[in-house]
Amino acid sequence: MVRILCVAEKPSIAKAVANHLAGQAARAENTRIQWVKNYKFDYNFQRWGQSSVTFTCVAGHIQQQDFHDRYRKWMSCNPADLFDAPILTSIAEDKKGIASNIESQARNAQILFIWTDCDREGEHIGTEIRDIALKVNPRLEVCRARFSNIERAHIIQAARTPIPLDEAQAQAVAARIELDLRLGAAFTRMQTLALQQMIPQQAEQKKIISYGSCQFPTLGFVVDRYLRVRNFVPEPFWNIKVVHEKDGINVRFSWRRVHLFDRMAVIIIYERCLIAKTAKVITMQKKPTKKWKPLPLTTVELQKMGSLFLRMSSQEVMTTAEALYTKGWISYPRTETDQFDKGMDLRKLVEKQQQANNWGGFAQMLMNGGFNQPRNGRNNDKAHPPIHPVNYVAPTALNDSEKRVYEFVVRRFLACCSEDAVGEATDIEINYGGEIFSAHGLTVIARNYLDVYPYDRWESSQNLPQYTVGEVFEPKEATMHDGKTSAPGYLTEPELIALMDANGIGTDATMAEHIAKIKEREYVIARPKGGAALADGGNGAGRGGARGRGRGRGGGRGGRGGAAAQNGGGAAGGVQEFIPTTLGVALIEGYDNVGFETSLSKPFLRKEMELQMKAICEGRSSRNDVVQQNLEQYRAVFNRTTQQINVLKAVGSTDPKLVLRRLLILLCVYRPSGSTLSGRIKPEYFTRGAQRSAVETP
Amino acid sequence: MASNLISELTTHFNVRHLYPSTAWLQSFTATVRPNTPLPALKQTALFRLLATDITTSLSQPANTVFPRDILNGNSQSRFVAGPLVCQVLDIEDIGDSKWAQVESIEAKERGETKKGREVIRVVPGDENATVPPISESAGPFKLLLQDSKGLKVYALDLNGVRGLNVTMSMGTKLLLRDCDVRRGVIMLEPGHVQILGGKIEALDKVWRERRKERLVAAANAGREGDAGH
Repeated sequence: MVRILCVAEKPSIAKAVANHLAGQAARAENTRIQWVKNYKFDYNFQRWGQSSVTFTCVAGHIQQQDFHDRYRKWMSCNPADLFDAPILTSIAEDKKGIASNIESQARNAQILFIWTDCDREGEHIGTEIRDIALKVNPRLEVCRARFSNIERAHIIQAARTPIPLDEAQAQAVAARIELDLRLGAAFTRMQTLALQQMIPQQAEQKKIISYGSCQFPTLGFVVDRYLRVRNFVPEPFWNIKVVHEKDGINVRFSWRRVHLFDRMAVIIIYERCLIAKTAKVITMQKKPTKKWKPLPLTTVELQKMGSLFLRMSSQEVMTTAEALYTKGWISYPRTETDQFDKGMDLRKLVEKQQQANNWGGFAQMLMNGGFNQPRNGRNNDKAHPPIHPVNYVAPTALNDSEKRVYEFVVRRFLACCSEDAVGEATDIEINYGGEIFSAHGLTVIARNYLDVYPYDRWESSQNLPQYTVGEVFEPKEATMHDGKTSAPGYLTEPELIALMDANGIGTDATMAEHIAKIKEREYVIARPKGGAALADGGNGAGRGGARGRGRGRGGGRGGRGGAAAQNGGGAAGGVQEFIPTTLGVALIEGYDNVGFETSLSKPFLRKEMELQMKAICEGRSSRNDVVQQNLEQYRAVFNRTTQQINVLKAVGSTDPKLVLRRLLILLCVYRPSGSTLSGRIKPEYFTRGAQRSAVETP
Repeated sequence: MASNLISELTTHFNVRHLYPSTAWLQSFTATVRPNTPLPALKQTALFRLLATDITTSLSQPANTVFPRDILNGNSQSRFVAGPLVCQVLDIEDIGDSKWAQVESIEAKERGETKKGREVIRVVPGDENATVPPISESAGPFKLLLQDSKGLKVYALDLNGVRGLNVTMSMGTKLLLRDCDVRRGVIMLEPGHVQILGGKIEALDKVWRERRKERLVAAANAGREGDAGH
């Protein structure tokens, strides 16, 4: 019999897949590591015939990359050296047991069948496993399984059709790992060393001020909004409202100009209306309208909705979804695909939901002819289908957060398979004194998908009376009002995710981690937003229609495997909003004010990196090119920053007062002041200082 | 020759309802080379005239300047046939808050613009990049106009006269016909405004340089009430 070694990315997957293939609980042998089991069973593979299978797992990445000893200590070298210091790849200390288990199992196997998750990171982990195995057994035949959920039929299908590992994807991850290591270490050290010397230390903490190429743009978005809120100046505006009574209904017409910021202008317009006395109907339109059912669920959408409606942070949503996936209830939750494959039997998935208490009836209705093929979005990562329920599970078998996420995934899926909500829209426009005013009404005729999807809102408005075009009437009331603009709110989690998504910062899978990271580093604090958010955000977010998702996607993923890190904060009150700490603001303004062409806090550099990652995957670029090109760009930023710091040190020896001022400028401690002009510190401060010190210091 | 030229030019201007002062015509003809062909001269003269401050270069007949009592706030509506020749001293976007305008100016200063939610970097000089044209606000606009006698009047462009927006040059010359004047404010309507062009270089430069500063100040002043009057 052929001996086959299967390796999954984590223990839960190994167990689930082994049991599916074995057709029963597979025999588990202990290894030297308590939570890694080797499952043994026989299986008849289509390609290799009856085989003896060992199914084991790793726990995320096995290898680690680090600098040579000489560079590892903080003070051992100039941080700039880290841009080209040699990097050693070795088995991570805590993964040695796992590696040796693979080695001993690989020795007498003929085939290595890799079952890591089907994404870039999984591809890279697959190559790590392969390299370890080939070292002890060079004659191994290597392939991998393509799967996106742990449902039995799907797994058996995957076992039937092994495919080769995708080297390009693994290379993209390798590039990402190298860049993250070099840039992270170099900037973190430079930044921390410089700032530690300069800030009067608060005795207890010698904090590391870390840099991450995703963290910084993420923080940048938060700081940008914070400054906008802070600098905001409310301004008065004026508007005109018109009311007409017909058939006993008070029809409110709103001004097409909404409001204007000039009182004189509005008064003149208002007077013109009053003189006109009568208004004339110029449009009377009733037309069928629809509220589109949602698109199939992607990771980004799940995270946004999670923080809007499920009262969970994006990271909690992801951890929970991951757990549901591992248990076989939902499909793989990391996907950017928002279109279902035509060949997928969606009815079968709907059928399984018929037994549910809450939405079972709706599922039955779909089975009895209500089923409609879901809409197709524009994204397909060609690896995973949209997130959908794989099996029915009774809510009692789930914990509280699992229950909420599962319910959302199911409802979303059923909504996708249902029909758009249908209604009739009425639009009336009048010309009154040369100005256009309009009234809009909606009658919902069939709720359809809305019945199963309470996250969207679409309700009938007041009934509007019948008007005819050309009809002239005298309004009952025309009034002039005033108001004030109000500041935007602080950045909320769904908004931040949307910004990161649009700007290609991180991948759908890693965004939550970057957000958690800037919280953990105390660059931002998260707090629940005042209650109203729920109702308000609903409509816009639910539409899902034509959202631009043009982006560069990449492989940046941080901790993987065993590290299901929890963030302490939690989101008790639903939507979270972010406020940067003094340190967070200082860092961002610091980099912005040094006057780089492209500041580290801006998304451009990172976005380019993500695009290049994609280029590697598609074979348009190589790992080496991408690494070199990026290092060059970041090195320029690095050198400029160090220069500025040195200027400060040089000046330091002359006049303590000046130093202090320069320090504040370098640290860019934000000085609150009404206007953006004086609130920000100009880069010129630097250049002037630099020139002078060049002359002054011998 | 010179007087012949002056009369040629005068005719050329007068059909455009422009009446340059004798002093201006003389100083212009003094600078021209004698053998320049007449059509080219006419063009140059018009170009130069439009680049002047009309309070010094034009001496218009009474029907082409603002009526002396145009500022009378008690007049609800009056009709002025014109044609009126005037220049633009200021234009304000009243459809957008001043602060929003400040923010968009600052984004441009940082070299950023936004496409939907995506922050885009605008690289100067990189014309063929896929940067969408920065769409200027559609207003409406409030303008400050001045005639050749120096009288200044507010005007409103509520219905989007093409060419009137915050990117236009200060000192641009306009020809207005058949205007409705309400409470001392001229209502500008498409079809009744002819943009002759030109600018006043010094005015335009300062106006542009200090636009953000003015907006910030006006936004702050707006707290006390009506900033417009």
